[in-house]
Amino acid sequence: MKSKIFGVLQRVGRSFMLPIALLPVAGLLLGIGSSFTNATTLETYHLTNIIYEGGILYTILDIMAKTGSAVFDNLALLFAMGVAIGMAKKEKEVAALSGAIAFLIMNTAISALITANGGVESMAANSTTSVLGITTLQMGVFGGIIVGLGVAALHNRFYKIELPQVLSFFGGTRFVPIISSIVYLIVGIVMYFVWPVIQGWIASLGDLVLASGYAGTWIYGIIERALIPFGLHHVFYMPFWQTEVGGAMMIDGTLVQGAQNIFFAELASKSTTQFSVSATRFMSGKFPFMIFGLPAAALAMYHTARPEKKKVVGGLLLSAALTAMLTGITEPIEFTFLFVSPLMYGIHCVLAGLSYMLMHIFNVGVGMTFSGGLIDLTLFGILQGNAKTNWIWIVIVGLVYAVVYYLIFSLMIKHFNYKTPGREADDEETKLYTRKDVDARKAASSGTASSGDNVSALILQGLGGKANLSDIDACATRLRITVKDPALVQDSLLKQSGASGVIHKGNGVQIIYGPQVSVVKSRFEDYLDSPDSNNPAAVVDSAPAPETKADAPAAPAAKPIVLGAHMTGKILPLSEVEDEVFSAGILGEGVAIEPTEGKLYAPCDGTIDNVTDTHHAVSMTSAEGCEILLHVGIDTVKLGGKFFNVHVKDGQAVVRGDLLLSFDMKGIREAGYKLTTPMIVCNTDEYASVTPIAQGNTKPGKNILEIQ
Amino acid sequence: MKTFEYTIKDEVGIHARPAGLLVSKVKALGSSVTIEKGGKSASASKLFAVMGLGVVKGDTIKITVEGGDEDTAATELQAFFEANL
Repeated sequence: MKSKIFGVLQRVGRSFMLPIALLPVAGLLLGIGSSFTNATTLETYHLTNIIYEGGILYTILDIMAKTGSAVFDNLALLFAMGVAIGMAKKEKEVAALSGAIAFLIMNTAISALITANGGVESMAANSTTSVLGITTLQMGVFGGIIVGLGVAALHNRFYKIELPQVLSFFGGTRFVPIISSIVYLIVGIVMYFVWPVIQGWIASLGDLVLASGYAGTWIYGIIERALIPFGLHHVFYMPFWQTEVGGAMMIDGTLVQGAQNIFFAELASKSTTQFSVSATRFMSGKFPFMIFGLPAAALAMYHTARPEKKKVVGGLLLSAALTAMLTGITEPIEFTFLFVSPLMYGIHCVLAGLSYMLMHIFNVGVGMTFSGGLIDLTLFGILQGNAKTNWIWIVIVGLVYAVVYYLIFSLMIKHFNYKTPGREADDEETKLYTRKDVDARKAASSGTASSGDNVSALILQGLGGKANLSDIDACATRLRITVKDPALVQDSLLKQSGASGVIHKGNGVQIIYGPQVSVVKSRFEDYLDSPDSNNPAAVVDSAPAPETKADAPAAPAAKPIVLGAHMTGKILPLSEVEDEVFSAGILGEGVAIEPTEGKLYAPCDGTIDNVTDTHHAVSMTSAEGCEILLHVGIDTVKLGGKFFNVHVKDGQAVVRGDLLLSFDMKGIREAGYKLTTPMIVCNTDEYASVTPIAQGNTKPGKNILEIQ
Repeated sequence: MKTFEYTIKDEVGIHARPAGLLVSKVKALGSSVTIEKGGKSASASKLFAVMGLGVVKGDTIKITVEGGDEDTAATELQAFFEANL
């Protein structure tokens, strides 16, 4: 029962993500637009000559501000549709349409009852509002969520309904908007009587929160952070940000409810002199630990990593730290230590709560669209001026937080010998971070989408196969899956796919990938639609690593791969290499390049097995298990290493295009040796064919050898 | 099972060319052959494994032959090493 509730709450939380993802954009429009149409700001920055009412720039900025505002004003409708989409299992577009209709119908029913009973004047003060031009009860974003959840429930129940022959036109998905309209007509009538009571409760809850003062803010902060690992934080903070639980205020004659709404209404208002801290207390606290604290923690993890791992770990931590600083998406950092030390995460929660409280105490009035990164701090803090926001305290507290986080993390990691990234023993977990790093680098450098299949195959295998899946979704950083039998889930496979962690609750599985999760999800869904997904084990068993370069027709013994050029130069068939050990294929099949540049590059992702003592040859194994020998020159072993420089070491992970060796072409030629460089597949007999697929001049990045 | 030791005399050790010759020689035999150097061992029918041992001039390696024709195979291999390495 408990895990079922968790599962439902999780799905509600993730269904919030679609409307929430729009907020940063709306916030940018509103932030820039209203900042530069605000009289005080314009005077402060001496812009009154360029931007003035009636001028082109002013009008453009005004449009930005008003369109941004439109999103926040109609958030309830967006939630009605977004939650319906998120919670619907199939035919989601029908759920969206039904959500919109049900939302209109419910509010119109309420509106009609208000009119019939004496109009707005007869209602309690501030209990009504105008939604899409309909005078209705002030329900805030709750109104939308009630519609979204209910419509999704109706949808999941009825979208396959079969009606009697005469009515069959109205069957199936067409029935969903119909039944939703009827049900929400009734819900509207019920709400007219019930909601004022609930309004009373919410108002007293809001009063309680308001009266809780600094301690309340602290507790709010701790709870918000502590819910992150469960993915329930959106469900928790949303009422504070969007409903009266987070306060209510009259701004320019309109009643505004919810902390975030209050902040943005004040932002849009021309008359704001200082932002209300009673609202921003639920937001500002994020800035110090997201921009300063967590990146300092990442630095501490970097400094405590083993020296030989620092290069790899540095890349991972740097990108995670930058993500937190700029956008306020903190999960990539938080999950790196959450799993190795829940205690450290607990301390982080307490400090985060304290940050909220300190911002409250120092009257910091900086709001946010989504989370507390530098972008939001700039727009909603610095640009608004210190007089309105006291943003300078974010920097002051933040700097202290940086020191505190650095010290606590360094000391705890060393004292308890926590296995944070780069400190693990040489087991699978080390690969996990390396692989993720490699994946990220590869995605950044090549931008190719071909690595998806193996990742998806690993995920599917790790989840126990296609038949075990019941529902797939994703939020900002994790893939959220509902499975039929949790016992079939294999965490180790999921982690191999690049996940930084896996969380189980009943039938719910959350696989944490970081912000790239939406890509992982869509590839995974594409993969599920392909026939390959019926047998993911074929891929997974023969290739433990997720990288692959080519789509596979049924693979023989080993996984197919396409190798890139290992040099710049002219392609030669192996048979023309002037050394029979290569030309006769004794070492295996392959291809050679006559180089025009003294550099040897990795032809694929993989691991360096061996660089010969004489530095002229490198052997490496690709991520798919292809054993590759790169041999620079003919008979160059006799040079004993002269003219060669090595850039990698044994056991190092490389990605396609990494520099392996550089060499002095002139020196080698003058010493009397040829530079023809074969690339040999040493385990040729494990494949059906090794075929050169290019001719003439080539360079690293071009594909030259196909192995099947 | 037959074992023997051999000290490499060839200037370049078991590098690409001799390794390739060795592996094709071993594959022609009916027995399985293992090469051991300083605690690390490798199957002599796997080119990659052989080269990974990094055998250079002066190294002493231990060769183990196991299988139906191990007596003749060991003799043939010994002759191969003398001639090529």
